[in-house]
Amino acid sequence: MSEFSILVVDDEEEFVATLVQRLRKRGWAGEGVLTGGAAITRVAADDFAVILLDMRLPDMDGGRVLQEIKKIRPQSRVVILTGHASASEGEEGIKNGAFDYLLKPVEFETLLEKLEAARNRGP
Amino acid sequence: MKMYTATIPGSALKVRSRESYYARQKRLFVVVVILVAIIPLLFISWTASHFYQKSWLDKTTVELTSLANSRREIIDLFLDSQENILAGYAELYDFAWLSTPGNLEKLFQAMNHQGVIVDLGLIAKDGSHRNYTGPFAEDLKDKNYAEARWFAEVMQNGRYISDVFTGYRGVPHFIVAVTDPTRSWVLRATINSELFNALLASAEVGPGGDAFILNRLGELQTPSRLGLTALPTGEKGLLAATTGGALTIHHSQGSLYATTGMKNNAWTLVLKTDIGTSLADFYRARQRDHLIIACAALLILAVSTFLVRSMMNKVEGADQQRMLLYDRIRYSEKMALIGRMAANVAHEINNPLQIIGDQAGWLDELLSEEDLGQLKNTDEYRTAFAKIKAQVKRASTITHRLLGFSRSTDGLKTPTNINTLVEETVSFLEKEATNHRIAIRRSLDPTLPEITTDTTQLQQVFLNLLNNAFDAIGNDGAVTISTSLGDRQLAVEFADSGPGLPEEALKKVFEPFFTTKKAGCGTGIGLSISYSIVERLGGTIEVRNGRQGGCVFRVNLPVTQQ
Repeated sequence: MSEFSILVVDDEEEFVATLVQRLRKRGWAGEGVLTGGAAITRVAADDFAVILLDMRLPDMDGGRVLQEIKKIRPQSRVVILTGHASASEGEEGIKNGAFDYLLKPVEFETLLEKLEAARNRGP
Repeated sequence: MKMYTATIPGSALKVRSRESYYARQKRLFVVVVILVAIIPLLFISWTASHFYQKSWLDKTTVELTSLANSRREIIDLFLDSQENILAGYAELYDFAWLSTPGNLEKLFQAMNHQGVIVDLGLIAKDGSHRNYTGPFAEDLKDKNYAEARWFAEVMQNGRYISDVFTGYRGVPHFIVAVTDPTRSWVLRATINSELFNALLASAEVGPGGDAFILNRLGELQTPSRLGLTALPTGEKGLLAATTGGALTIHHSQGSLYATTGMKNNAWTLVLKTDIGTSLADFYRARQRDHLIIACAALLILAVSTFLVRSMMNKVEGADQQRMLLYDRIRYSEKMALIGRMAANVAHEINNPLQIIGDQAGWLDELLSEEDLGQLKNTDEYRTAFAKIKAQVKRASTITHRLLGFSRSTDGLKTPTNINTLVEETVSFLEKEATNHRIAIRRSLDPTLPEITTDTTQLQQVFLNLLNNAFDAIGNDGAVTISTSLGDRQLAVEFADSGPGLPEEALKKVFEPFFTTKKAGCGTGIGLSISYSIVERLGGTIEVRNGRQGGCVFRVNLPVTQQ
């Protein structure tokens, strides 16, 4: 996969669709999934440069998804984006291997900066 | 000074309405103590007094009875003996011998060895005085008794004993008369009744007591010790005739009477004991007992009232403490619920906010790709997108703060010097304070120990309280921050020189979205967030109006022993 490949995991379809479109305009090869299960399947199939992960998913807890992803690809860079993340939830994510966390609503520019930072981090 | 920690409106009223409940309980306890302690005391006193009086009456009755019997027997015996002696002489001597001058004199001498016989007379069947020996010879010489009632009676019955009378002689006496066996003449002796008087005088009937003899008409036959001249009216029932002569005990008008018939019930012997006088000592003792009991009762009353009061005050205090604690728990449960709700609402709103912001950004990006020459209102679109973004940001600051409610407690806890934390927090706001001409005074206790707590969250609380104080003051004023060490906790107080808050506002100040600031100037979340943070850190936060006006917020934090 390209170094601009990104997997957006969020149950809000509107959010995923628009974000993927906007990312594409910035050169990112974006792809969206709506469930934790689908995210794990996709990660198992392809190595994304960055994964943007919501903590509250309909089928499983975001923390679990993060752990599964890290099991499959320990090097993957995950940015948590959630509407509910409290400081400790985010910190918990970082402890479990997430690159960083962001709290919804986040401005697109800020999100891009964070994704760039994640992508640029050495393996 | 009223303090609101977690006082839910209305609970203070509940405490007041319970005051009458405690007053009722106090009265009830006092009444119970009185019933339990004083009534037995009175009962014992009453029974002791009652039984003493009753046993005294029983004993006195027995004594009086035996005294009456013995006196009656003696007097009856005396009367019988006088009668029998006279009857013996009447049988032994004939009229002629007795008529002979000097013989009656001899008889008188023989009879009168006791000195009770006043005179002796011989009366013929026709009532004429035939012989006489005694001191009244001249007076009685020509006396004829044919018409006298006693003479008729003795002639009919053979024997006669008169009531006591003074007669011609002015001396109380009575007569005993007998006839000879053929009833043709009468031998009569006058007997001095002084002997009876002596017999009765020696009767021990106690002080205020009396002993006398009555005839059938209730006339006194012997002098009364108390100077009575006749049976008191209303005491006619004492006469032996009404009871057939049997010994009777009467209990009337504070006196105890023993009465018995004598001389074939012609006379009544009356012995009287005055209960009041005889029991005077007992009554005095009883009075003293009553005084002692009254004192004891008063003492019991005073002590029990005091004890019940202090006990009930303690109970009341404990109840109020419990109620206060209950209120606190309820309040903190309410706050926790509100917190969870707020966090959930914030989360639910954050997602749509994200989408709104993204859609606006997306439209803005797409707009850049349009042929701007064909669009009339490009600038308007741009402004509108910017406004949407700005409002999303505004909304998100609120939702992000609301999320503070659900922040977990397991944040990083480090040893913290509260004084240092205060100084650091103050330094953030010094510029703002200067701008508003607000002086920040500190009165920090240098002996405060370090406590292990979440420094970041606690600083958030201090910032909130300071900002709040600044808002309350506006311009020109002072905030005093003081720290102090108490029992297993330390306190940080923020006192502002603002206008203070009305009572109603003080009660609600920690509730979310309660604000006294103008619309748009405050969210009303800062204090409730501070409240939940302090609660999670194991402390409490209180507010009151200061003595010199303004509000005083006090944060109490637990000090853990190292």
